[in-house]
Amino acid sequence: MDMNEIKEIFFQECEEQLAELESGLLRLNDGDRDPETVNAVFRAVHSIKGGAGAFGLDDLVSFAHVFETTLDCVRSNKLEPTQEVLKVMLKSADVLADLTNVARDGGSVDQARSAQLIRELEALAKGEAPPAASASEPVAPKAAVAKPAAVAKAAPVEPVVNEHGFAPVAFSFDDFGGDEDDAVGDLPAYDIVFKPKSELYTKGNEATLLLRDLSRLGEMSIHCNMDSLPPLDQMDPETAYFSWKVSIKTDKGEDAIRSVFEFAEWDCELDVTAVETGEASDAATDDLPMQPVPFDLSALDGDLDVPLGVVEEEEQIAAAQEAAAETASNVVQMAGNASRAAASEKSVAAAAAQNNAQQASSAAAPTIRVDLDRVDRLINLVGELVINQAMLSQSVIENDSNGVSSINMGLEELQQLTREIQDSVMAIRAQPVKPVFQRMARTVREIADITGKSVRLVTEGENTEVDKTVIDKLAEPLTHMIRNAVDHGLEMPEKRLAAGKSAEGTVKLTAKHRSGRIVIELSDDGAGINREKVRQKAIDNDLIAADANLSDEEIDNLIFHAGFSTADKVSDLSGRGVGMDVVKRSIQALGGRINISSKPGHGSVFTMSLPLTLAVLDGMVVTVAGQTLVVPLTAIVETLQPDAAAIHSFGATQRLISIRNSFCPLVDVGRILNFRATQANPVEGVALLVESEGGGQRALMVDAIQGQRQVVIKSLEANYTHVPGIAAATILGDGRVALILDVDAVVSASRGQSLQLESSLAAVG
Amino acid sequence: MKKKVLTVDDSRTIRNMLLVTLNNAGFETIQAEDGIEGLEILEDANPDVIVTDINMPRLDGFGFIEGVRKNEKFRAIPILVLTTESDAEKKNRARQAGATGWIVKPFDPTKLIDAIERVTA
Amino acid sequence: MAAKKAARKSLNLAPVLDLNEANALHGQLMGLRGNALVIDASAVERVGALCVQVLMAGAKSWEEDKQSFTFAKVSDAFTKTTQLIGVNIDHLMAKEI
Repeated sequence: MDMNEIKEIFFQECEEQLAELESGLLRLNDGDRDPETVNAVFRAVHSIKGGAGAFGLDDLVSFAHVFETTLDCVRSNKLEPTQEVLKVMLKSADVLADLTNVARDGGSVDQARSAQLIRELEALAKGEAPPAASASEPVAPKAAVAKPAAVAKAAPVEPVVNEHGFAPVAFSFDDFGGDEDDAVGDLPAYDIVFKPKSELYTKGNEATLLLRDLSRLGEMSIHCNMDSLPPLDQMDPETAYFSWKVSIKTDKGEDAIRSVFEFAEWDCELDVTAVETGEASDAATDDLPMQPVPFDLSALDGDLDVPLGVVEEEEQIAAAQEAAAETASNVVQMAGNASRAAASEKSVAAAAAQNNAQQASSAAAPTIRVDLDRVDRLINLVGELVINQAMLSQSVIENDSNGVSSINMGLEELQQLTREIQDSVMAIRAQPVKPVFQRMARTVREIADITGKSVRLVTEGENTEVDKTVIDKLAEPLTHMIRNAVDHGLEMPEKRLAAGKSAEGTVKLTAKHRSGRIVIELSDDGAGINREKVRQKAIDNDLIAADANLSDEEIDNLIFHAGFSTADKVSDLSGRGVGMDVVKRSIQALGGRINISSKPGHGSVFTMSLPLTLAVLDGMVVTVAGQTLVVPLTAIVETLQPDAAAIHSFGATQRLISIRNSFCPLVDVGRILNFRATQANPVEGVALLVESEGGGQRALMVDAIQGQRQVVIKSLEANYTHVPGIAAATILGDGRVALILDVDAVVSASRGQSLQLESSLAAVG
Repeated sequence: MKKKVLTVDDSRTIRNMLLVTLNNAGFETIQAEDGIEGLEILEDANPDVIVTDINMPRLDGFGFIEGVRKNEKFRAIPILVLTTESDAEKKNRARQAGATGWIVKPFDPTKLIDAIERVTA
Repeated sequence: MAAKKAARKSLNLAPVLDLNEANALHGQLMGLRGNALVIDASAVERVGALCVQVLMAGAKSWEEDKQSFTFAKVSDAFTKTTQLIGVNIDHLMAKEI
């Protein structure tokens, strides 16, 4: 592992800490006053600061520091976490996230925003009300100025070359035991009185080690004062009785002497006095018998091969010190080189140590981190296994009509096992939707800020798990929907109050599993869909006839039509040319469906139903013009055998089918996909009733149904090229490639009769 | 025989840095993620020196140090505290809990090894 | 040395003489009072000031008892530590060995 890998870990950890931070702040916002919640929030920022410091990410450190200081005020009950305070903190959490991203990926942050927040945080820490936001205020010079990652990476951690402990020893062995020596005679001399207290020992410090470090500073004589030592039967073995008087000649200065005792400062009496050169030893030896101290102290280091800091290894020390002058990461590297150069048994032992450490940590944490690529590979391989198993089964059945029971039974078991392996493997990649939901909290805050609305986001079922591939693609449509909900759905506070609602609007985001799919619901308690307005707009845009008779549900679903926007003016937020139609398309591209139900005056509910994974699909295998196609089962409402009497011609080429007293357009799949030139006879085929865009239904005409099965999705784009009307491909049990129908593309193409004319389909993928 | 260091820190980043630094410097490293785990593995780890963070979930550094000092077998062990706070208050609290010394973050390999050398034989 | 009639006992010191060992060592010495004592410090790898205190207090008490208190064998680490902290044990070294 090198520094870059650790840095990668740091950024991963940052993400977790940021999530922890946000959820903690939100809990506080909900009135949670558990001290542990405040602690967890503090720790998250503290931890980010600690790691950032180690990598010299100064912007991140300085912002985290200010944030941490304010949080510490909350932790120590100096600052009440009111809604106002938490508002600032939640925004700060967002900036911290931005700074982290910038540190990792480069780019820049909104400097005015982070400077403003630093001022607000500092004001809070000082017990003042946060200063009002003002973009025109000058940006604080140091605060959170974004730097490209490369620069941040190069910023060295200030190396601290410690002058004590294992500094090179500046004297030779010849000095040992000598009388006053010329070589050191001119060095400044010090008299030191050192009286340990008992606490020094109980806290794990050791007088012998302190004296060892002291002796490394220069030539030293010592006298141990045992006067207070009682006889054996009167002594307490853990009481400090010995004290020492030391004379030392060193050019390291008094500070170096004092810093030897840095850790023991409170637990001893220490007196250091500089002595005029020449008088030193006289003064010291006048009244006390001083013992010269030998410099060869290696024995004090036990039988350990201490890599640094032992007198015999002076060269190594020099190298280490040089290294210390480099950046922190270089130091590690240098030390690494040193140990590599050492005996190879060391590395074996190091590996053992690492094993040990891994064992130790695995005992506590029942999780492991795995590179996503590895999981993806495994999932692909299992996909192949499923296909292979199906092929094997099929060929056995074909070649052995008698059905040798043992083989069939074995195959059945194999099928069972394969399924289980597949489910288990998919579970590895399953993740809770929590991170996406948390991102939405930020979106809500930002939009509430811009629109001047007061919004509260409630989330439920954040631990509902779904395949990572789905999660990754969920954020974008969800963000857009949340924007819509706040921007269009919720009313302004005054209007809400007038309507007898609380000034604060609520947006609720829930996730749950329902029959093998994940259902995500987004509801708001706003005004609901203004059906008159939607209807009028649809008429204006020629989406519906002026006299069209539409149900409430149909009107509501009109908002999913391309280019539809009900906002009176195009707002800064949701009106970026992206409408709900795009949301719907991206949900559909995930194999999902979206619906809206609205209650005027009480708000709207968007319901999305998505597959748990994008790797496999339950499909209906059908035949169209001699080709085998797979229709996603989720799209199919029902299948029916059309009756000649139910088919009605409509215009030149259109046909309708009557189902239970309502008419439904009939879509000839073979014709749409250009599998054949002429229209098929509906009576000879089967109709699949599917739900289409806008909530209406279509009947897809196919020649025959082969059966239902789970198929492994193979991207057509990755292996071939995009084909309009086709979502993906799969390999069937007999080894044939079957195309998976893109139902919505086919349905929308049915209006233009042929897919080649529909260029916009490319977006559906 | 290598010196054994038990590190206690909830940050994966810092744990890895400690591991790399200590292994490179020839120490054997055993790691725990918080004070509770630190106390749990103390016996098996049988370290020569402990390096611990202060801010940790479940059991913080202060509590952990007190726990070690109450342990008959390990109460004499040197304990170094990793702290970003250089202010006297935090150091003082750590000292009162029984810390031997401290290492002021940002994490610096030289400072770490130096401090360990100072408190171990 | 002129030990009295009492038996001559020996004591082997532990390799690590730290804070914890101070109490144990103190207890061992208390139990050996009144006997001539030969201490084997050859296994000592590490010795802290507290254990040196106990040993020196022992030497003092043995002297009061007019019993001999000698170090038969000492390890390098033991010698060097006592030298470092200015504790002279030369007069306690067993002469006959």
